[in-house]
Amino acid sequence: MTAPSLDRRPDRTARQRRDTRTAFAFLAPFLLLLLIFQYLPLAMMAKNAFMDYSLLNPGAAKFVGLLNFEDMIHFDDARESLAATFLFALVVVLIVIPLGFVLALFLNSSLPARGVVRTIIMLPVVTSAVVVATMWNFLLDPSNGLINGVMSLLGLPRQPFLTSPNQALIMISVMTAWQQVGFAAILFLGGLQGVPKELAEAARIDGATRWQVLWNITVPLLSRTTLFVVVIMTVFSLQAFAPAFLMTDGGPQDSTNLIVYHIYKMAFVMQNAGYASALSVVLLLIVLGISLLQMWLLRAKWNY
Amino acid sequence: MTALRKPLALSLVLLLILACFFAPFLWIVSNSFKPQLGIFADVTPISWRTFLPLEPVLENYRTLFERTNILRALLNTAIVSAGQVALTLVLCAMAAYALTRIRFRGAKAVFVVILLTFLLPVEAMLVPLFQVVSGLGLNNTLLGVMIPWIASPFGLFLLKQAFEELPRDLEDAARIDGAGHVRIFVSVILPNVKVPLLTLGLVTFLFSWNSFLWPLVIAQSPDIQLIQVAIAQQGSPTQLPNWGETFAGATVATLPLILLFLLLQKYFTQGMAMSGIKG
Repeated sequence: MTAPSLDRRPDRTARQRRDTRTAFAFLAPFLLLLLIFQYLPLAMMAKNAFMDYSLLNPGAAKFVGLLNFEDMIHFDDARESLAATFLFALVVVLIVIPLGFVLALFLNSSLPARGVVRTIIMLPVVTSAVVVATMWNFLLDPSNGLINGVMSLLGLPRQPFLTSPNQALIMISVMTAWQQVGFAAILFLGGLQGVPKELAEAARIDGATRWQVLWNITVPLLSRTTLFVVVIMTVFSLQAFAPAFLMTDGGPQDSTNLIVYHIYKMAFVMQNAGYASALSVVLLLIVLGISLLQMWLLRAKWNY
Repeated sequence: MTALRKPLALSLVLLLILACFFAPFLWIVSNSFKPQLGIFADVTPISWRTFLPLEPVLENYRTLFERTNILRALLNTAIVSAGQVALTLVLCAMAAYALTRIRFRGAKAVFVVILLTFLLPVEAMLVPLFQVVSGLGLNNTLLGVMIPWIASPFGLFLLKQAFEELPRDLEDAARIDGAGHVRIFVSVILPNVKVPLLTLGLVTFLFSWNSFLWPLVIAQSPDIQLIQVAIAQQGSPTQLPNWGETFAGATVATLPLILLFLLLQKYFTQGMAMSGIKG
């Protein structure tokens, strides 16, 4: 950093030194907390993944080398939990992307009640995961739930939902998508507002139908936003906890044993914090990979 | 004719979608005003009774506040959220000032150190973070609930962007008058970034009020419990189920945030759209 005219003074170095001191004084509280609550835990996690210990008595930790990672390979729990988590994320993304896109189109059009629409789809986003999970516990209740009520009104058979190993994961994905779709719509809306209007107008003059404009111009131009929303929703889903904790206890038959819930259970219930740390390292690496992909996508130049 | 029918069909589809988003809220709130026996009686067959309490009672709210610790939990959550907002704003604004308005050696290194924490998923750090905070003796304290999140990289970036947009001329006059960095920061810069500060404050409040996993592990004692944890344990199988109370609790836990959202929707939405950039 070469200094412009402002610093070209006789007392330049003294002033620079004073500025550096001031800058670090302004930064000190932030950096200190960052080191204590981000970097220290990171280092501890890396170390603890090679230990066998419990949170009740961390002093009695034993170094076990790669045993925790070997356990992850030898037992099925880690693989099953990760598979459930990825499936969960996949279903969430598959619902959120098209629905969020359509809602964004509505929000971007000259709809009369746009403000009301936006408010309603944002309500679930600002509601806590706990309240949403509690709400859906009742909505999905096999005997008294509102959704089964609607289904019987339509003449459809009642469903077991959360008590069925085939349906539970799908249902918590649907719930999470329901909660997050408003967020996706807002992100898509931001993308839509960046699309130059002249392109669509020119195409319309050339005789393209609305569908053709949407499919051949709008959708391709939003590819970057779409990738971005996919990444965000994936990372968000990989970190989901409340549905498994509050709705299914990871079951039935471990079908909804999401990875963060599995880590929580291993560390705080089973008191196997070393193994939980090893699982955390794997989750960290997965999310890290996706985040790096995101940064690369943001940097990449996408030309219209 | 078709030109008229098309928007009508679209509007109906939209109306149906909106009903799916809104009906669960209506159901929860209406159930919180129904007597215990009326709650599930009205589900099948579905009628307008399902969503409207015909003879509203306040019994659920009365027992909720009498029987449970919910008032305490609400108070704790309000303290934690307010504290977290205040401390986040102060720390992030100070750091953003240093990074945008002062030229100093090491700025790049500091920036990289902060940038890298963007990549760390909070949930994956749960176990070591618990050990660090308990090691500091902050287990079961309100400070322990908020302290790991105060130095928010997202908050810093949001403010840094806002600070960068301010013209240099702004502080030149003050500098010529002999003002130091502290005075420039407080009386020149901060008054010019009120909207970004409000946006960051709202998003921080939202995350703090709604956070669950961290309070669940770090604030277990009943006196320190936060609202989301209290709600979660209410519906748990260890307690005798009182559905009316659960619905009332969910309503109470959600209402403050919804009201705040309705009042300041624009800033909320802006903040969340920007928080998406963090991912």
